[in-house]
This record gives sequence, C-alpha cells and structure tokens, in this order.
Amino acid sequence: MSWQRFCATAEDTIAAGEAFAEVLSSSDIVLLSGTLGAGKTTFVKGVAKGLGVSERMTSPTFTMVREHRCSNALGIETLHHCDVYRVESLDEVLDLALGELVEDCAVALVEWGELAASVFGRDVITIDFSVEVDDARILTVDGDLAHARAAQLDRWAS
Amino acid sequence: MMGLVLGIETSCDETAASVVGEDFHVLSSVIESSIDQHRAFGGVVPELAGRAHVATIGPVVRRALLDAGLDPLNPAILGIAVTSGPGLIGSLLVGLSAAKAYALAWGVPFVGVNHLEGHLFAPLLERSELEWPLMTLLVSGGHSLIVLQSGPGEHKVLGETIDDAAGEAFDKVARWLGLGYPGGPEIDHLAQSGAARSLKLPLSMTGDDYDLSFSGLKTAVVRATEKQRDLPIADVAASFQAAVTEQLLRKLRRALEYHRVKGLALAGGVAANSALRAGVTELAQEFGVEAHLPAMAMCTDNAAMIAAAGTYRLRHDGPSSFDLSAAPNWQLADVS
Repeated sequence: MSWQRFCATAEDTIAAGEAFAEVLSSSDIVLLSGTLGAGKTTFVKGVAKGLGVSERMTSPTFTMVREHRCSNALGIETLHHCDVYRVESLDEVLDLALGELVEDCAVALVEWGELAASVFGRDVITIDFSVEVDDARILTVDGDLAHARAAQLDRWAS
Repeated sequence: MMGLVLGIETSCDETAASVVGEDFHVLSSVIESSIDQHRAFGGVVPELAGRAHVATIGPVVRRALLDAGLDPLNPAILGIAVTSGPGLIGSLLVGLSAAKAYALAWGVPFVGVNHLEGHLFAPLLERSELEWPLMTLLVSGGHSLIVLQSGPGEHKVLGETIDDAAGEAFDKVARWLGLGYPGGPEIDHLAQSGAARSLKLPLSMTGDDYDLSFSGLKTAVVRATEKQRDLPIADVAASFQAAVTEQLLRKLRRALEYHRVKGLALAGGVAANSALRAGVTELAQEFGVEAHLPAMAMCTDNAAMIAAAGTYRLRHDGPSSFDLSAAPNWQLADVS
C-alpha cells in the first residue's frame, strides 16, 4: 500500500515527521530516499520531536549511526538515526545490524536507505522524498502494514 | 612528573602514532592515511578504514618509537594515550585494543582521550607557553564547534553545528559537483578562479547564538545548480566557500565580542581552507589578539595532539581502566 502527503514548506515537512511518529511502533525500520537536500533530515527532526527526543539531531553521516533516547507513550525508547550515504558495499550495512538494534523498544530511520534496500527485504517502511518547487516536497510512504496502522496512515495522508 | 607519552589515533581514516615529551615537545609523529582507498568511493568507507588500521597500526607505532629514539620492544615511556571517541566504532576499537595490549606488555598506564579535546591541544604542540583564554574554531569532516578555553584541558563549548559539519558540507557539495574526495581542497582550489557573488545563497544562522548550520547551504547549492545548469563550476565553488566562511567568521566575531580572550585558534581539517585562514587572521588583528594557525600537519588528525591531551589527562585524572570501551558519540561537552 502507498500513501502520499504534500508538504509546502520545511515546517510542513517537520510536521509530517512529527505526525508520522504516531504511526511508528517498536522494531520498525524506515528507509528514507531522495536526492541531496530533499528534506530527509528535516523529516527525521520532526519524527524525533514526535518521539520526544530532547537532544539535537545532528548529521549521522560521519559515524553512520546516532542513537537518541526517546520519551513518549508509544513504547519506543530509542531512535537510531542512520545515514548510509558513505556506504558502497552492502556488507557494511549488514555489519550495522540494524535489525538487532531495533529489537528492543527501538526504531531506525535510515537516510539514503534506497542504497541498502535489498539488505532489509520487504519488511520495512519506505518514504520517498520528491522535490517540487522551492521548499515543497511530496512524501510517498510504502509498506505492508496491518489494518490499524494503515488506517492511521490514511489519516496522516489526508 | 613529566615523561614521554605515546599517542595513538585511529578515529577515522588516518592511523597515527606519536611520541610527545616534556612541554608537549613532539619527538615523532607518523601518519598513515587510507584516504587513497576511500577516494574511489567519495567518502570514508568505515569497513575499509577499520581494515586499513589493523594492517598499519603495528608498523606505525614501531616507526613512531624508533623515530623518537626509543626501543620499540620496551620503550621508556610514562604512558599511552589513545583516542577512544568520537569516531567510527570499528576504527576506534583497533586503536583502543592496540593501546591496551601495549600497556599490558610494557607495564605502563594508558588513558582514553577525546578526539576533539586532542584538537584543542594542537596550538600547544608548537608553543607550550601561550596566553589564555583562547577562542578556538574547530572545523572538520565530522565536527564544527566554537570553544572557549580558559586553560589547557579547561573548555566550554559555546556553539556547534545543529546539522552537518562544515567539512561534511564541503564533501557533499564537492560530490554533487562531480569533484574528488576530500571535497575541501578541491573546492578551495576551484574557488580561486571563481566569482563568489555569482550564486545567491541565503545568509544562514542569523540568530544571536554561536550555533552553526551547513545543511541549508548545501541544499541551496543543489537547488540553484539544478535551476541554472550553465553556471561555471568555479563560481559555484567560490560562492559556496564564501557562504561557509561568512557564517563561521560572523559567529566567531560574535564570540569575540562577548568573551575577552588573548588568542584565536583554528583547528581541524577545514583549517586548511585558504579563505578561512585569511579571515581568521584578519579577525584576530581586528580584535588585537594573537592568531594561532597551527601547521596543517597538526590541524588535521594526528597522534601528537592525542599524546599532548593524554599527558594532561594522565596527570589530572589518572589512567583509564582496562574495561574502557570505545565511545563513538562522545561529546566534547561531556569531557571533564
């Protein structure tokens, strides 16, 4: 299934992320794809806000993964913010063991996730960011989600 | 008591070892870079970095000890300093494991050092006596901070990047423009022949704090070059570099206006940028403070700065315990 949401400004993209946090549940892996400056990090900032992360969401490119403590009513305690921009071999993504990292009350958001999609298989949520005019973006969410969450995303998209 | 300290640094793509003596006098400094392997990929590939460190750490340490006139099998040193964070976990572990093994074999203490604190010691490697306090701009591929130092090992982070590091923005824009890695020198070189005003980039981070941000500038360059495909690449490089240095110097100026210091220092790999060096020199003159622009070999990642910071930490906090683990996200503000 697939859902779309239009974001006219960077603030809209943050709000979309914040609202998307409500849809997340423990052990979700979300792959974010889109060109340089498409709004992936901006969206992650919104998700972090929605998950109750108090610290700053700086770029994880250098260390590949940054771990953030969360405070929310969703049962999600940790947000792993990853960036596989520098990775050229899929073995390195396997080495990150994201599947294991999210097992324990955690979720992972992976920037440039399309580069590593085959490592994660079908059991992920993907969000594609396409650039419209100026700061406007169209976010397309894809994933095989259970009915209740699909209904949540219907509301997210409307 | 002072004595010789062996420093080991493997936080990113260099494998480095150095012996530093009394008053931070550098007796040897050896750096092996795996950058040639990374160049093909347009960035540091963590797995490649880790493997390269394993292969080079032994020979690099041996070379550093020999260069300092020490017996590589049983060197007369006071202790070992090793970068234990922040950095790539696989790379950090190579250096940390080696340091522990040498410490056990030679019966000397070792201490885990914060890589960023190491950079702050770089000016002391050239002049052990300098006037405090010091305002330091630390800009590299992984970090961008403005730090107020009241003395060696005493520092306060005034501001830091809220998104990308300055060097990371150079790398990403360079890759976008089809230039090589690392991106800083490539853009710096091209910018010499470009017109900095040809591309209108937004003034960034105009708030009255010391925080930095480069993600928006990167995006602005990408969007502008998509719209105007015929823009000369040298003009794009010059405009981007001017916008980055403008922001850094504006924040530094504010820091100098609000904090009375005796010196202004530049550290980290981006300190190689010619526009930034010129701007910092000018700013120091304007405020009547001394400019500390360490030689490039001491600005970029090296083990002498780790040995210097480790000398201080050994004296003040004592050695680390053998169960010390690597801390890939260790913040400078958490060093005490």
